[in-house]
Amino acid sequence: MNFDTVFLNPERLWWWLLIPLLVVLYVLVTTRKKRTGMRYTNTAVLGAVIPKQSQWRRHLAVAMSLLSLVTIIAAWARPNGVERVPRERATVVLVIDVSQSMQATDVKPSRLAAAQQLSKEFATNLPAQYNLAVVSLSGSPAMKLPPTTDRAVAARAIDALKTEDSTAVGPALLTALAAIQMAPKGDNGEPAPGAVVLLSDGFNTANSSPTQAADTLAKANVPVYTIAYGTDNGSVDLDGVRYNVKPDRDLMQKIAQATKGTYSAAESAGQLDGVYKNLSSQVGYEEVKKETTAMWAGYGLAFAVVAALAAVSLGARWP
Amino acid sequence: MPNPLDFAPPTDPSLGAVASVLREPTTATLPLNKLAPEAALRRLELTIVRRMEGFLHGDHRGLLPGPGSETNDARVYVPGQDDVRKMDWAVTARTQTPHVRDTIADRELEVWALLDVTPSMNWGTEGVTKRDLGIAAIATIGFLTQQMGDRFGGLIMRPDKLNRIPARSGRMALYGLLRRMLTEPIVHDHAVGSLDLAAGIEAMARTQRRRGLRVVVSDFLSPGDTELDPAVEPDWERPLRRMSVRNQVLCVEVADRRELEFPDVGDILIRDPESDFQRYVNTSDDGARARFDAAAAAQRERIRVAIRRAGAGHIALRTDRDWVYDIARFVLAYRRTAAMLHQPPQGVSV
Repeated sequence: MNFDTVFLNPERLWWWLLIPLLVVLYVLVTTRKKRTGMRYTNTAVLGAVIPKQSQWRRHLAVAMSLLSLVTIIAAWARPNGVERVPRERATVVLVIDVSQSMQATDVKPSRLAAAQQLSKEFATNLPAQYNLAVVSLSGSPAMKLPPTTDRAVAARAIDALKTEDSTAVGPALLTALAAIQMAPKGDNGEPAPGAVVLLSDGFNTANSSPTQAADTLAKANVPVYTIAYGTDNGSVDLDGVRYNVKPDRDLMQKIAQATKGTYSAAESAGQLDGVYKNLSSQVGYEEVKKETTAMWAGYGLAFAVVAALAAVSLGARWP
Repeated sequence: MPNPLDFAPPTDPSLGAVASVLREPTTATLPLNKLAPEAALRRLELTIVRRMEGFLHGDHRGLLPGPGSETNDARVYVPGQDDVRKMDWAVTARTQTPHVRDTIADRELEVWALLDVTPSMNWGTEGVTKRDLGIAAIATIGFLTQQMGDRFGGLIMRPDKLNRIPARSGRMALYGLLRRMLTEPIVHDHAVGSLDLAAGIEAMARTQRRRGLRVVVSDFLSPGDTELDPAVEPDWERPLRRMSVRNQVLCVEVADRRELEFPDVGDILIRDPESDFQRYVNTSDDGARARFDAAAAAQRERIRVAIRRAGAGHIALRTDRDWVYDIARFVLAYRRTAAMLHQPPQGVSV
């Protein structure tokens, strides 16, 4: 745990050193021989007649007050929590692989059909104010849909995807970046934050620079959420020749890492559905640092109240 | 505007003893002139039933023949040695030989008082500490035994050593002894030492061989002794019984009201000035208090039985009562009971 990121005033945490000191002091004082107390002479009979009183309330009071001190010092150091805040607006680019390998039927009914179905659902589940663009990933990537908030058009664009030859991941990513930049700017002139969802099922076969493109996106602060789609056993028959088509998981992971996105694998329609649901919550929210001093102070108060109750219950006489 | 002196700690000396509940006292809580009303005590006399073996002419019955008031056996007249005025004519007539009537010498009384000043005596909740009450009892008994030639000596039993104050006669010597006892340094809590009450009584019996009156002033509480059964002897009973063979012994048991009735002061840490005992006790527990009071009563009964069994007189004093009144009452009742109480064991001359 890095204190500098979690606490705004981590130097105040040095006061925590006080706690072990107090504990040692308490132990010393309780084991001291000449403690303040009532001197009494007839203690032999007293000890035999009156049972030893359990000390848990006393220890509880001390432990609770120490805990309250710990939490209050933590609150004083102004701790930060991470809170997820829904984005006001964003541009999401769906990059869907339409290479020939998408014809493979290891995902029922076929890879492309399942992806189309679930992508449409993903599109409709996105917050309505988000722009959505669709880019097809093939040898010649094309923007099938410029950024729009109209989900019916998006659904039609996804439905219209046809398989094409070859796979060029790099140009597809650059096309996606272009789509993000096409999105209308906000009131303050800043472009909406963008995110790319890259669904691919095969190896890069054309234009061997997908990582360079990923770096470009990383510089533009656009995370790429990659999905390696399909199983290792997928195969497709083209012109009478059977090709084995398995997803390039390493490449997907690299792209996700380079752009601070996430990588997931989907080997079936159900898994892809799960991934999409996960992504829609990731894309839709952003993590914001927020001071959680009040929460810590509240814990401190609760501990202090318990300590006070324990101390009061030790009091000499109740009315 | 309030006077700042209003908030000054109370300076009333009567609080001195109550402070002993919190910490050991630093000085005596009674001044010398408040120990005993000397003038009022002149009209009382402590009954002495045992025979004395002093070397001066006194007011008490002696053990051996000599010039005195009490007649003894008749014996044959020795010309030139016996006084003809002591001639016992009735015996002379009966036996046809001159006889004289012997007398038993009248001797002075030698009193030795053993004062226990162990830390448990530095305690009291009602104006005086038990130690000072013990000194007051010694003063009262001292003024009761101020007849011609009577000597009064003292032993101060500290945990580490026994301080001896030589026996001397006269009022001023008694005042000196009392002052010495009052100014004896207070024994600190948890002081180390091997002397306990049994050893103190043993030492007194061993060092003071001449017959007389012995006064033992203590609270008779042995640290760590939880026995309540009167049939079991306390450790000091045997030396006490041994001492009472030759001496007339008075035991002054000083106690505080709060040793018999446990106070209700809530949940409190209680520690012993002598032993390592330290414990939080909920004194507000009525059942526990009742159990303690019963146990304390049984403990006092055991002390009373043990003192009686040892053949010693028993004066029970409490810090919240007037010790002069208690001792005077004891002395009045003692006139009738002393002869029976101090009957020596078989084979020991009276």
